[in-house]
Amino acid sequence: MSRALQKYLDQVMLYANRKEEESAKIRAELEDHLRQKTADLEAEGLPREDAVFQAIEDHGTARTVGYSLRKGFALLDVRTEGTARGFIAVGPRAVGIIAFGNVAVGLFAFGNFAFGVLAFGALTIAGLLSVGGISVAPFGAAVGLASIGRAAFGMIACGGLALGLQVPWAIDGVNLLSGDNGIQFLQHFQTHEGTVALIAIILWLLLAVPVLNGVMCSIKRNEYLRIEKADSKLIE
Amino acid sequence: MPHWALSGRQKMTRLSKQTLDGNVETLILAVLESGPSYGYAIVKKLNERADGILQLGEGTIYPVLHRMEEKKLVASRWRLAENGRQRKYYRLVSKGHKALAVNRWQWQMLSAVMEKVLGSAPNFLPKPQVKGATI
Repeated sequence: MSRALQKYLDQVMLYANRKEEESAKIRAELEDHLRQKTADLEAEGLPREDAVFQAIEDHGTARTVGYSLRKGFALLDVRTEGTARGFIAVGPRAVGIIAFGNVAVGLFAFGNFAFGVLAFGALTIAGLLSVGGISVAPFGAAVGLASIGRAAFGMIACGGLALGLQVPWAIDGVNLLSGDNGIQFLQHFQTHEGTVALIAIILWLLLAVPVLNGVMCSIKRNEYLRIEKADSKLIE
Repeated sequence: MPHWALSGRQKMTRLSKQTLDGNVETLILAVLESGPSYGYAIVKKLNERADGILQLGEGTIYPVLHRMEEKKLVASRWRLAENGRQRKYYRLVSKGHKALAVNRWQWQMLSAVMEKVLGSAPNFLPKPQVKGATI
């Protein structure tokens, strides 16, 4: 069998990342396809080299085919293209119980656009806790520069219980710039317990994003290393 | 017909992935209705029947077949092929027959509605080009 076909199949299976036994069967099926396609193209009059090239091209890029051959919902799905789906999903788009991605959807979602029960990122919409630049939590707490939620905390805060520099709308709002209300509210933190609680909340918020970012980068790096180890040319 | 042999006009009139999404399973079921077959032959039959309008990335048919197998629409078996190699054959099972019947009926209904609303399709004319807009 041509080296080009073997190499293509190696790359497909690298991206597919299946168990050895499953991988062998899938590979055999694809190999049969490519061999027969090559033979048919040769019978049509194409030289062998061109036939192999054409068969591979018609089959699709190794990355696209490989990723599409991954399990429907894996324990860990990390990919550099398309949508990752898994218990832990990491990719440009990620859907999972724990999802890290540019667009992330999950029970626990982290990304530029994050949607979930708990969501962290630039624009976040969450059921219970939303932390981000613009955060929305219709049934829970939203923390962000602009936040909307049952409880909203931020520069601009709207919602049931809102605390912020600007509180355009709230059932019970505290505007920290408006003098008495804000000062009275801040007096709650003058006790020792209150101060500890406030510091804990701020630290947790400040730590959460870098830690989550670190976890995501580490998982991604492992995937890059796995691919690079098998074929360094695949890493651009 | 292989992609390299298609004319520019034929390439223009091929179906987009978005249009195909969700319908590939039905197309495969229809091909398997006439008897067991394997991946390459299924793609070939689909391309023949579609007369070059359909452009499937050939490798992407396998995840669809595997998914259909998981959903028990098709069953598979490895058999020795004429070239002496093991080959995986897929065949339609009862759930697949039922799914095909339902999908076929739904597609015919949708097709009838589309035709009534849009009028009958022109004979694969090239896409209209509007300056400054993407269609």
